[in-house]
Amino acid sequence: MRLPPSLLTLITDSRFLDHDTGCDHPEIPARLQIILAALKQNDSFAGLRFENSRPAERHWLQEVHDESWLFRFEEAVLSGKTSIDHTDNQICYDSYEVAALAAGAGLAAIDLLEQGQTEQAFCLVRPPGHHAERVRPFGFCFLNNCVVAARYWQQRYGRKRLVVFDFDAHHGNGIQSAFEREADSLYVSIHEHPSFSYPGTGYSDEQGFGDGRGSILNLPLSPGAGDEQLLALLNGQVAEKIGQWQPDAMIVAAGFDGHRADEMSGLRYSTGLYEKIGQSVRRWSNLHCGGRLLSILEGGYELTVLGESVEAYVQGLLSQ
Amino acid sequence: MYISRYMIKEPLTVTPDMLLPEARRLLTENNFRHLPVVDRDGRLVGMITDRDLRSAYPSSMLAESERLLAYEQVEKAVVADIMSVDCVGLTPESTLDDALLLFDRDRMGALPVLEDGRVVGIFSSRDLLAAYKELFGIGEKGSVLLGIDDNGQKGFMTRIVTLLEQHEIPFTRLLRIYDAEHGNHRIYLRLNTFKIAQVVNLLREAGINTVV
Ligand SMILES: [Zn+2]
Repeated sequence: MRLPPSLLTLITDSRFLDHDTGCDHPEIPARLQIILAALKQNDSFAGLRFENSRPAERHWLQEVHDESWLFRFEEAVLSGKTSIDHTDNQICYDSYEVAALAAGAGLAAIDLLEQGQTEQAFCLVRPPGHHAERVRPFGFCFLNNCVVAARYWQQRYGRKRLVVFDFDAHHGNGIQSAFEREADSLYVSIHEHPSFSYPGTGYSDEQGFGDGRGSILNLPLSPGAGDEQLLALLNGQVAEKIGQWQPDAMIVAAGFDGHRADEMSGLRYSTGLYEKIGQSVRRWSNLHCGGRLLSILEGGYELTVLGESVEAYVQGLLSQ
Repeated sequence: MYISRYMIKEPLTVTPDMLLPEARRLLTENNFRHLPVVDRDGRLVGMITDRDLRSAYPSSMLAESERLLAYEQVEKAVVADIMSVDCVGLTPESTLDDALLLFDRDRMGALPVLEDGRVVGIFSSRDLLAAYKELFGIGEKGSVLLGIDDNGQKGFMTRIVTLLEQHEIPFTRLLRIYDAEHGNHRIYLRLNTFKIAQVVNLLREAGINTVV
């Protein structure tokens, strides 16, 4: 018996809790537990379907990362190191496997989307990915989940023209470096201005090189900017760029650390803003790419508001 | 902070007797804007810029016959005819600050670097920008700039540094700038960590307030 397509499938896995970052670290397992609890107790989300992730095959990881980095990462966890390259990047024995499983969530989701088994998908994963570079980790990120998913969609299903829209408070330097020389892959990011914010990249004049000129759109916001400033960009430059781009598929790097209560950035978004973002990405994907929409969790560290922020975003995704 | 680390070494040079079309070709092909002019011994005799060349060529506003005549003359002219001769040079021991002050004073785009009168390099305002970008860590991946409210207390900088070092928080730049308008100091700290909230809290607990 074939099940009717679910409106929204959440790809997650209890293994994601096994990436142990030690004490005094913002990127902790409780982030996911809180999100899942919030989504499960919301009665209006009764139609949500939950699926487990699967590990990304090595060759898909290698589409994004140098083998030398994968070896180094694997070796570091197996040898019992507690961090890699920087004390920000805390690891434990399970971290490599968990990161590969997080990178595989997008693949599992894309299969479901392409087989018509779900209308949209949201990967609730950790560790996050958008800071991870080809050969090294950055800012709590080890494998670039969004870019691995992008490569899979482009190569396995021929959805060549692809956009990643990133509303995490921080610039996704790893996604930018993957896309900045490519004519078919667009990266659009709204983030706190790099003069004040980690990782110090994402200036508006970074627009891509060579064939990729114009494939990067960085929209920095000043510290203190909130809903009004984000919505102006969302309904203005972002909507316009994605409309002109005419993508075959859309990936959203969904980070919730721009919330006014989240100390990881100086942005001042409200919880309700995430619903509007959800509505917009849903609308764009229906207008421009046949509804092919995949969201992947990035940051969001303030546990008192993370659950409700993700709830609001999901509410937006489900709007008609 | 000597410019020798940042200058272009052994730059392309031209001789005073080179014909203008040839000099123009060199500038366009290499996408240069300045060329040092040297004698047989490599000694600086002048500088030639893309702007000098542009103004040497006849304006398109001229009548066709006049333009052709002027054009013929330019094609026969040599570098020595249009180069600027009274140019200032830097030395490998010049500092970035020397270069900045000279650029600022003379509105120059690039300066030759001389050793015993010989051209050993060229240093442009773009090289200067790149050097300062590196010095201040602008665009450095994995860093963040934090403003700190200077309360004017004795030993304030020491307290900041000690606190960071005790907690093994990597940082790479610490600047204290006097703000004449407000009569106080501003402090900027470049942290190389993503755990910003922890650092802000740590500083706050020690009575050190961060500002945007
Ligand atoms: Zn973030």
